[in-house]
Amino acid sequence: MPSANSQPIIQLVQVGKSFPGVRALNQISFDVASGELHAICGENGAGKSTLMKILSGVITLYDGDLLIDGAKARFSSTRDAEAAGISIIHQELNLVEQLSVAANIFMGRELQNRLGLRDDRRMNAQAKELLASLECNIEPTVLAGSLRVGDQQLIEIAKALSLRSRILIMDEPTSALTESEVARLYRVIERLRANGTTILYISHKMDEVFHLSTRITVLRDGQFIKTLNASETSAQEITHLMVGRELESVEITSRTRSQERIRRDVVLKVEGLSLAWPGHARGYRLKDVSFELHRGEILGIAGLMGAGRTELLESLFGATPIAPTGRVLLDGQVIAPRHPSEACRAGLALVTEDRKRLGLLAKMNVGRNITICSLERVASGWFLRPSRESKLASSMVDKLQVKTASLRTPITTLSGGNQQKCIVARWLLTNPKVLLLDDPTRGVDVGAKAELYRLIRSLCEEGLSVIVTSSELPELLTLSDRIMVLSEGRQTALFDRIEATQPKIMAALT
Amino acid sequence: MLGKSKIINRLSALFTIRGNELALVFAIIAIIGTTIMLDTSRSYLEYPGTSAIDVLRNASLLTIFALGASVIIISGGIDLSAGSMIAFSGTVIACAMLGLQSLGSTESPTPQWIIISGGIFAGLLAGFLVGSLHAWLIISVGLPPFVATLATLVGLRSLARILGESTTSLLLSAKKSQIPIEQPFFTDYLRENVWIWIATAMLLAIFTAVLLGYTILGRHLYAMGGNEHAALLSGLRTDRLKWFAYVFGSMTASLASVFYLANEGVSAPVTQAVGHELNGIAAAVVGGCSLQGGIGTVAGTVMGALFLRTVIDAVAKIIKTGADVWQGIIVGVVVVLAVTLSQYKSSRAAGRKLFAGPLGLLAIVILASLTGFLVATTSGATIGSVSSVIMGGLMLGYRFFESRR
Repeated sequence: MPSANSQPIIQLVQVGKSFPGVRALNQISFDVASGELHAICGENGAGKSTLMKILSGVITLYDGDLLIDGAKARFSSTRDAEAAGISIIHQELNLVEQLSVAANIFMGRELQNRLGLRDDRRMNAQAKELLASLECNIEPTVLAGSLRVGDQQLIEIAKALSLRSRILIMDEPTSALTESEVARLYRVIERLRANGTTILYISHKMDEVFHLSTRITVLRDGQFIKTLNASETSAQEITHLMVGRELESVEITSRTRSQERIRRDVVLKVEGLSLAWPGHARGYRLKDVSFELHRGEILGIAGLMGAGRTELLESLFGATPIAPTGRVLLDGQVIAPRHPSEACRAGLALVTEDRKRLGLLAKMNVGRNITICSLERVASGWFLRPSRESKLASSMVDKLQVKTASLRTPITTLSGGNQQKCIVARWLLTNPKVLLLDDPTRGVDVGAKAELYRLIRSLCEEGLSVIVTSSELPELLTLSDRIMVLSEGRQTALFDRIEATQPKIMAALT
Repeated sequence: MLGKSKIINRLSALFTIRGNELALVFAIIAIIGTTIMLDTSRSYLEYPGTSAIDVLRNASLLTIFALGASVIIISGGIDLSAGSMIAFSGTVIACAMLGLQSLGSTESPTPQWIIISGGIFAGLLAGFLVGSLHAWLIISVGLPPFVATLATLVGLRSLARILGESTTSLLLSAKKSQIPIEQPFFTDYLRENVWIWIATAMLLAIFTAVLLGYTILGRHLYAMGGNEHAALLSGLRTDRLKWFAYVFGSMTASLASVFYLANEGVSAPVTQAVGHELNGIAAAVVGGCSLQGGIGTVAGTVMGALFLRTVIDAVAKIIKTGADVWQGIIVGVVVVLAVTLSQYKSSRAAGRKLFAGPLGLLAIVILASLTGFLVATTSGATIGSVSSVIMGGLMLGYRFFESRR
């Protein structure tokens, strides 16, 4: 704990920020003590990212004051912030993938020799040292793009180290890491703290927050709610403060109902599905995956990054560049879609993993995002009928309880959870037999997650069959009737709900 | 079925004037006003009819292929080849007409209507084929649209010359790349009847507006332009959509080439419509199409084309002799100004500053000297340097104002 009389390293005084039409931050005031690990918690849209952008000099126009070591600071660029000793590691990493690791670490501060030429040798040597101090044995000369996400993140940390940053901001750093990479990150964080680095840690994963932090600040809807000592609070209290209301932890479905469901008739049957990976040592992305999906069942698919979860769904959906081999039967009929439109016609639907990149039509409004796959239903011949279209869209908005001002609202102004509901609505309108959900709650806040779970459950009650992947095991354990485990493209286990436990799945993952 | 009044409502909704288009209307009025004040021969006042027809005729011509450009831009692509496509299609039409003519003899000449419709059909077919080639290069070969259409930008002019020379040496036994158009339909009828130009442009505009606003295909084009990957994973046939967009683009250029032939009375592969693809793109962009795709309207594109032609006409009216020398720089400046102003609000919200930092200072120096130079060439060195200083001072003032914000 910081002693009461010591000077806080960061003080925020009535910091506020408005975007057109939105008050993103409203008079935020709190301190960060030197050397502590200060967690910032809040749902999506609470203002965490905006606040961090102000601290790191990305946002330069804001109200209120920012004090570093008690002195007023006003950064006009990220360089100013770096000069003041603040570095940020964004959730979406900021690397130039075509450049080497060393080039990325020294970007903007490249070393020169006496002739004024770039000194790659010295940069490589220094980069190697920095990386070694982070338990990372990658060559500084390899391209940043060829590395795993976990290693890429360490490059950003190495960059912060090379800047001798006193304050390090980490924005949801574990969202793409495997178990062992998370453990390594924790060790790196311990070491940074031992050297006196102050860390601002943004996360909504409670176990991480409590494992690491000294103090926790909660934001909600752009407002400062409370700063608490980690030792004097609980995950429940923090969640409660974040959401602003009590979260029902719903037991989504009973075990007996689950057992009954998996005895129903088979809707989708997959036999020996393989997907080649030319030019890779392993040679395949998927190898001999076989399973059955029953009517109204939710099949969960567990796997680490690169295990082939997304590839499996894309293979079923005809969205892979190379055709998969093996047999897929939908209602007893062999299907082999080579284009998403064929899969769609056959009765499959895919809610993609990366919503922003692969799902949202960001330039369109809510209504048009919902109807894009089923325009034939609202057209007479070639021509769209706007009144029919909006009727169809609003029926889905009502059914899924999407929170939106109107159908004409730009989809990007909705929260992550509501955006995801729109995408689900888009696919439900195609009347699919099987719904494929690829990590559907990624970037969705706690409150909306429970709502999505209930939605998925109720769809299954209506007879829809669902395959869902997730990077969070608890999620799969809540949702699924059965859980299939993938590891490096192979199917390593298939558990019934009754036998599935976290340790058993973990064992099958690696 | 829709009632009559409902159809009228729908059609008027198609051309609902939005912010950007309204701004363009005011800009056009302002330019006409300026021209009236500065034009010493007062042609807008003395001959309002002729002047209007002249502007409308050129604007119609630009609109026709600007609509093609805007459909491609909305779908997330770009077509740099429209100017060359116009020249190529012009040559194809001329050659086809020459060929059809040579089929007949002096006693029984090929009927006029067959020659003319055959020629136009050949031109449109050429557009269809070139557009399909673009689509193949982009979809199957995987070239970026910029590269694929850059290749045809240079290639088609050359091909047009080869085609013209081989056709003339075969049929006229005199090798030449320029083929004069002898059909009075082109050289007299089309040339004189400007209403046909305007009607063609208007009909194409209505067709495109209905297509983009009220068909499944149109909605899919916007979706693909906004996020191609998401559109594909939503089951849209993005390959077919691209094919449509590029075929439409090239065929509008073919259609425009008919009027170029009428105007110039000759197919001229080397000189016809050089650089005009950029006018088409500029009209679309000034009219509010986003080069990132997914955003744009027909009304905007039509207004953009009208605006550009009004500017060009104003230059010709004000400068009189040697206006074509000035045309390029003025169009360039106007495009930058129009797009800067239409983005002004969002750039300000993003905290962007026009003249910040050393680059801003450098820009002030460049723009002030440019103004000074241009004024000096027309009005003498003294006025030139004065206006350079005034311009620089204004920009420095704005820079100061900006830095205080």
